[in-house]
Amino acid sequence: MRPGPLASLLWTGLRRNLAMTGAVIVTVTICLAMLGAGLLLRAQVHTIDGFLLDQIEVVVDLSDAITPAERSALEAEMHRDPLVVAVHYETKQQVYERFRRDFRGSPDVVAGVGPEDLPAALRLTLADPRASRDIVVTYTGLDGVEAVRDQRALLDPLYRFLDAFTVGAFTLAAVQALASFALIYTMIRISAHGRRRETAIMKLVGASNGTIRAPFVLESAVAGLTGGLLAAGLLVAAKVFLVDGQFARQTMFPLFGWSAVWASAVVVLAAGVLAAAVMASIALRRHLRV
Amino acid sequence: MIVLSSVSKWYPNGARPALIDVSAEIGAGEFVFLVGPSGSGKSTLLRLLLREDRATSGQVIVAGRDVARIPDRRVPQLRRTVGCVFQDFRLLPNRTVAANVAFALDVIGRPRHVVRSVVPEVLDLVGLGEKADRYPDELSGGEQQRVAIARAFVGRPRVLLADEPTGNLDPATSIEIMNLLDAVHRAGTTVVMATHNASLVDAMRRRVLELGDGALLRDEADGRYDQTMPQPLPPSAPPPPSASLLPPSVPAQPTGTAPDDGGRSPWAAPTRNGPVG
Repeated sequence: MRPGPLASLLWTGLRRNLAMTGAVIVTVTICLAMLGAGLLLRAQVHTIDGFLLDQIEVVVDLSDAITPAERSALEAEMHRDPLVVAVHYETKQQVYERFRRDFRGSPDVVAGVGPEDLPAALRLTLADPRASRDIVVTYTGLDGVEAVRDQRALLDPLYRFLDAFTVGAFTLAAVQALASFALIYTMIRISAHGRRRETAIMKLVGASNGTIRAPFVLESAVAGLTGGLLAAGLLVAAKVFLVDGQFARQTMFPLFGWSAVWASAVVVLAAGVLAAAVMASIALRRHLRV
Repeated sequence: MIVLSSVSKWYPNGARPALIDVSAEIGAGEFVFLVGPSGSGKSTLLRLLLREDRATSGQVIVAGRDVARIPDRRVPQLRRTVGCVFQDFRLLPNRTVAANVAFALDVIGRPRHVVRSVVPEVLDLVGLGEKADRYPDELSGGEQQRVAIARAFVGRPRVLLADEPTGNLDPATSIEIMNLLDAVHRAGTTVVMATHNASLVDAMRRRVLELGDGALLRDEADGRYDQTMPQPLPPSAPPPPSASLLPPSVPAQPTGTAPDDGGRSPWAAPTRNGPVG
């Protein structure tokens, strides 16, 4: 069918079905906004990971009694470990230097400690900072190992918080997706009923199945697109007012940037249009026999 | 054009078949009345010709194609060669007369310039050129049926099926519609008309196929509505409309819509853009 007559059919359908289309748009907007929020939270986790990647290490304190043979065996084992990217040995003296540097603001603390009081250490750079727990488990208690300290464990509450919100957002998005499907299903049923005369005539004069279905699928896709645009708007507003306006002043961690917002918006728009069209096609199988 | 070979149709819950072993052949350009009481299988037969249903057994061939073997996605092609008119007109109330006719071309993807030139032509042929911008509920029943015929004819189908097209119309209007269908027929279209209107059948004297309880009871050239009852008409039938309007000696002179201009009727003339359909 030409775009003109198709648009006219689409417009008639949308106008006739205004309340139902509105309900679909609201539900789809909430669904997609939740999807977008989940994506942005994941982007935030990645942003923090990227920021900390170079800084998070697992420190393996060596006991004073470790023999050079034990130490090289330990290092060899670490080199074989796929989770470990690099192993860096620090002597007691180097550990002391670092200690002095880290605590340069507290001369009293530094004054009471000498190089002999601190253990030599192996500092491990990890392929994935999130795997630090495994590393801790692997090396704790080995010969010559006094303790394994995981710097990332300090950030665990933050990560747990972000992960929980991500899961929550995706769960809500899934629930809303189900609600959207139920609404689109009903919208198609009502629309098919309202247009049964038109579709009967289309069938009769030899319109192709695609032509008969197109206005319905487009109607749903337009609702999906509108919901997607509104959801993208919400994401942008959240970035401007919530992230940049509030959180940026409250935290020392870097926050996700605009590229993450645009990427999420694109996903949200595409998901809105495609999912709505697919849902409509499924509903049409049930409600429109051609 | 249409070949039925031992066609039977059982509906899933039917106690008896809707059609039993019906065989008939309708040539290109024929005009055939399909008569018989309600429930005799007329509508079922029309549904089979449109592939709205498939025969339980036997073969239905329309325009050279075995309709049962046409794959689903090609069925629209079949329906473009078969126009359809119904007792209840089936117009879209929210579209004008012209838009109703244009709809049939729009939904099969005809280009706009074709639609714009063909629709007024066809509306002139059915005598509704002046009422192109009216809505169906502003028209009389006869005019609405003219719109329906225009819509069925605008794609230039090779076959026109009419399922009791005069069933909702008064006798005088029925004759007008009959004349219009006759003009469509004389333009070269094969017409199959299912009807209960005995006076029209008797006046036209065309080929009659009579169905009864799903079986083909009669296939008669120049037939009448009721074989056993020559004129006058049976008491149950409506009184004959003023016979002077449609004298049997001059069958089907179209009333003003398709004048006989020496064998070249405007119905037969292809449009400026060539035949559509």
